[in-house]
Amino acid sequence: MSARPPVLVTRLLERTLPTRIREEFLGDLEESYAARIAAGRSPIVTRLWYCREALAAPLTLHSHQAPALSNAPRAADGPMTNLLIDLRFALRMLARQPGFTAVVAITLALGIGATTAIFSAVYPILFAPLPYPGADHIAMVWENTQDGGHSNVGYGTFVDIAEQSRTIGATAAVGDWSTILTTAAEPELLPGSRVSRDYFRTLGVAPALGRDFTAEEDVRGNGRVVILGQALWRSRFGGDSAIVGRAITLDGTPFTVVGVMPAGFVDLIDPRAQIWTTLRYNATLSWACRSCRHLRMVARIKPGVTIAQANRELNVLYQRMRADNPRDYAASGFYVPALRDQLTEGVRPALLAVLGAVALVLLIACANVTNLLLARAAQREGEFAVRTALGAGNRRLVRQLLTESLLLAGVGGALGVGVAVLGVEAIVALSPQNLPRIQAIAVNQPVLLFALVVTTLVGFAFGIVPAIHAARGDLHQNLQQSTRRATGGRRVTRSALVVSEMALALVLLVGSGLLLRSMDRLFAISPGFDPERVLTLQVQTGGPHFANDTVTWAYFDRVLAVVRAVPGVEQAGITSQLPLSGDFDAYGIHLKDRPSVNPEDDGSAFRYAVSAGYLETMRIPIHRGRSLLESDRAGQPAAAVVGETFARRRWRGEDPIGKQFRIGDTETGPWWTVVGIAGDVKHVALGAEQPSEVYLPEGQWKWADGAMSFVVRTKGDPAALAPALRRAIWSVDKDQPIVRVTTMPQLVRATEAQRRFILVLFEAFAVVALALAAAGIYGVISGAVVERRREVGIRAALGASRGDILSMVVRQGLTMAGAGVAIGLLGALGLSRVIAGMLYGVQAFDLATYGAVAGILFAVAGAACWIPAWRAARVDPAVVLRAE
Amino acid sequence: MGPRLSDLESLILLALIRLGDEGYGVAVQKELASRSGRAISFGSIYTTLARLEARGLVASRLGDPTPERGGRRKRYFEIRPAGRRAVAASLKVLRAMTRGLGPSLEVP
Repeated sequence: MSARPPVLVTRLLERTLPTRIREEFLGDLEESYAARIAAGRSPIVTRLWYCREALAAPLTLHSHQAPALSNAPRAADGPMTNLLIDLRFALRMLARQPGFTAVVAITLALGIGATTAIFSAVYPILFAPLPYPGADHIAMVWENTQDGGHSNVGYGTFVDIAEQSRTIGATAAVGDWSTILTTAAEPELLPGSRVSRDYFRTLGVAPALGRDFTAEEDVRGNGRVVILGQALWRSRFGGDSAIVGRAITLDGTPFTVVGVMPAGFVDLIDPRAQIWTTLRYNATLSWACRSCRHLRMVARIKPGVTIAQANRELNVLYQRMRADNPRDYAASGFYVPALRDQLTEGVRPALLAVLGAVALVLLIACANVTNLLLARAAQREGEFAVRTALGAGNRRLVRQLLTESLLLAGVGGALGVGVAVLGVEAIVALSPQNLPRIQAIAVNQPVLLFALVVTTLVGFAFGIVPAIHAARGDLHQNLQQSTRRATGGRRVTRSALVVSEMALALVLLVGSGLLLRSMDRLFAISPGFDPERVLTLQVQTGGPHFANDTVTWAYFDRVLAVVRAVPGVEQAGITSQLPLSGDFDAYGIHLKDRPSVNPEDDGSAFRYAVSAGYLETMRIPIHRGRSLLESDRAGQPAAAVVGETFARRRWRGEDPIGKQFRIGDTETGPWWTVVGIAGDVKHVALGAEQPSEVYLPEGQWKWADGAMSFVVRTKGDPAALAPALRRAIWSVDKDQPIVRVTTMPQLVRATEAQRRFILVLFEAFAVVALALAAAGIYGVISGAVVERRREVGIRAALGASRGDILSMVVRQGLTMAGAGVAIGLLGALGLSRVIAGMLYGVQAFDLATYGAVAGILFAVAGAACWIPAWRAARVDPAVVLRAE
Repeated sequence: MGPRLSDLESLILLALIRLGDEGYGVAVQKELASRSGRAISFGSIYTTLARLEARGLVASRLGDPTPERGGRRKRYFEIRPAGRRAVAASLKVLRAMTRGLGPSLEVP
């Protein structure tokens, strides 16, 4: 430990000390500090002593008792000196009333802390620049679909744009990829991306170690290469820089590591990606066709070109491509959003609503603190009058009061930052997985700056009202009755504040009420299957021994057999995609009896390649015909079960059983015959429009899906069976990773994670708001009761019963609550329009919700008034009248 | 009758008398702490000394810089005759007030 005192404190002290004694004063402090350390005192205690000395110095040296030391002549009262005097006085005032100070500081800490926490959550999503250079020129390219949505692009489309566009500079296509890394330890499934050669150049980020992909490495037939993410490199390869140039084993094949991305790099196109390989497509591949729309496309718009201009150019290009390839395109053009807009598209309204909600909480906190300050100002009128009489001007008084409120705000803000740190942890823990840029959420410099600005504004906001009241005070009158309580004007202000607190609380309550009811409505929707007691997990296959489809089919058949044999398993089946899991695998369905001119015009459906027993395990009902059976295997006629909505949409009134269709391709593949109609299943989300679905026997599909989801209906607790199932699956082949182990009820709940997240925040804010508003109304009514003691005493003396007095006081409170509710209802109408997009199955002005919320508010207000009312009813008229 | 002194002013003037040529901030604080048991902050000490100097009761001069002070100079304070008279006067008041109150309260 150094014998020199803390530098920062010394620097601050240097600025505040009067020049005349600066040198010797600092010298004395430093000498004393060194002597204490040398005498063996604890460094921490010594530092604290130093800080105390440093804090006391400006306060005493600039006080009016030290005129000799003032830098400026006394009469001029330099602003710094006055500030220090005010500050010292404010500190004393606050220290003298620790209870008051604590209540105010905690109220403000909650308000500022919550606001800061929410701001830190929304800042990286809505406001912070994306972590790429010139990010405002990076855009995504999607094809419009005929139903008004957007889809991925096919490889042919990507190549045309890359070659022909003059507004786009670097561009890249990105495909999904996950790979199994085999090392000595357990096999690990790594989420990654296949990217075309210019991916990282498009984003503007180069590997920190090694190099970027070259054009040759994106050619089919050349050796396979990967670039590692920083986290993966550190966790699995020990941060060894010699890894560059070495081969690692992925899916049983060697890949050469050519680079490692820098530590700060986040792949915003696929935030889960930890490893990247080249796409290695060319136009001859069957999956590189124009209508094989499975690639995401990202582009960097050339400097000087706007995204709107690029969009226009691409749409001209689209018309040309459509004219050249009429069977591949049928939509209106491309959709080219800036990357930032793309990322925030879904969440922006929700986040803004949350930010607005927390601002309301902060407003209520401010109103409450203003109220407390006004109540205290009433007690200090005598003090103000004396100071005015001694020559303090109005400006001087206002400045003193503002210093006090800024100091209070400062204490609240400092505590609030602590609250924000905890709050941010809670938000990250609670937030839905798909919240963009979640890893960037932290209490950082911009957030602290925000907290500082909010604290200052808040200090002024709640300080200005009492200050104005103090300045307006009638000196003479106040000197005469310095013991009397609040004057009329102040009482009106306080009531107005309580009314607005009530109104703001009502707005928040209505918001959370509407969200709560939406949630109820959503979970009342049947997903189309029975999620209870169903465990699901996904098994991925990879490695050289899965050389052909027959091996993969055989493997899954064996695994399904051992899974069914595990004790506690009632039923089991497998499927290529699972409802509500985020899986998205849809194909165009082309009907034999209703051919269309352009097959692109045919609608699509989710394709489930399933085992026999899948529909039964999920308890998806078969309404007509039959289910898929063990006998529907390769070599047998291709059989399909379709969803009822799909059947109704496509065969309008005709009997769909026996009808035939091709899937994905109009020219090749078998004609699938509809053998049964199944109940509808919600695939994307409970609240989403009913999608179309087709179920096919996995063994009859063109290829074996490499990843299959198991659904297992258990006799007991499904989660408890997971370890046994894992062991059973690994008994077949221990190198195949098992992922996404979860229960179906959890999966169903997770689909509404974002709505639930917003709901939880709204509920928390509403509860805090209600508590603050209740505290506010309690404070004002208590104050009123004290003021009206004499009146109450006289009433009691004249024969008013306790009940009369009780109801008189409660009525006063409920009048305020009533005014608050009336104003709040108008505000709530505005807010509910903002959150309308997050509501489901409930009107934005749902009468039941509004009524219930108003009821709650009245009940809470009544309860808050009860204690002061009860106190008033117990006033002894004799005591009060004697005191007069 | 000289100028009236506050409690702290008297203590600091007495400390300066005891310290003689060695009366600077650290020494004054130590002297006050060891004899009176009171930990007075430098801020208060300097405020009081400045007031005493303005009233002509003490004089000060700057010394030489020393390394343990970060190369800063000391300011030495010295009591002036008016200061001695003021201390003597306040002690006289104290004696007058305590005379006859018994050994536990009497100031010798």
